[in-house]
Amino acid sequence: MTRQHRGRRLAATLLPLLLAGGVTAGCTGSDPAEDGDPMTIRLLVREFNLREIGVDCAGSGAYLFVHRTAPYRLVDGDGAELASGELPTGTSIAAFEEDLEVPRVPTFCEFAVPVTVPKRDAYQLVIDDRPPIALTTDRDNPEGGPSLVAVIP
Amino acid sequence: MRKRLLPAILVAAALALGACTGGDDTPDKVAGGAHTLPGPAPAGLALKPPATEAPTAPRFSATLTDGTDIDVSTLWADRPVVLTFFSSWCTICADRQDAMSELARTYQDRVVFLGVAGEDEADPLDEYLRTHKVEYPVVLDDSMNVWRAYAVREPPAVIILSKDGRLLRGWPGGIDAAALDTQLKEHVLG
Repeated sequence: MTRQHRGRRLAATLLPLLLAGGVTAGCTGSDPAEDGDPMTIRLLVREFNLREIGVDCAGSGAYLFVHRTAPYRLVDGDGAELASGELPTGTSIAAFEEDLEVPRVPTFCEFAVPVTVPKRDAYQLVIDDRPPIALTTDRDNPEGGPSLVAVIP
Repeated sequence: MRKRLLPAILVAAALALGACTGGDDTPDKVAGGAHTLPGPAPAGLALKPPATEAPTAPRFSATLTDGTDIDVSTLWADRPVVLTFFSSWCTICADRQDAMSELARTYQDRVVFLGVAGEDEADPLDEYLRTHKVEYPVVLDDSMNVWRAYAVREPPAVIILSKDGRLLRGWPGGIDAAALDTQLKEHVLG
């Protein structure tokens, strides 16, 4: 077999694989640079609702739309969608450090949503098609790991 | 002979098929709809009189899950009412609902339970009601007017109204069925 023949056979073997790889990449958009990093969206709803600490919660009153199963979209600063899903249940955390010596105390409702997102200059959270909530990037969160943080109101 | 047998065979087959499918041609009733409204209050139903200082409960009209309009005052005209505010996505509500459904069956016709679902949608609500065997009437409070009237900020919440519509007790954050049973015996039933 001549060098020319070997080159043709190699090309015949590799070309379909290369083409298939290119087509697959084109279909899924799997640019390694776009795969992104695992982060956690941390949404704190500061509505001072009276609850026990550490129980399941939703945003209360005007923030009742922030609840388990509510659809969310994570978008960049231009509004391009980066991730989507449904919110998990929230967990109540104490609004004040003082021990008020009653079971139901003022609390906030905190949501933690794991996502994998590409790096962007800005992120926003859209819940149930309501106005976007700006997220602050915190890649050095010592407790919760890389986070996208929002506090409302 | 064959011609005379054929109709009989067809009739028998139709009957057999009817038996297999239950033969019930009534449409499925909507969970929480009008068919769950209570019957007449039992004659001689003994009730404790509400405290004289008990405030009057907000009166409201609303629509049940099957589109039937109700006025809460027609419910409290004959017997006490328990309002249970909930949502199909509320995990605390779901955890307590089976026992609450059973308690409502226990009090059937003596105390009417009325579910008031808020921030919810018809399909997940229907699934919730069927999953937890809710057999009392349920309002889908799309406007949230009933929630606001009773100052409910988050599910669950439970409120006891006396016969004739006084506010007796209320629990933001809800109450489990066993505790509610104790409260009904203490404050409502004579």
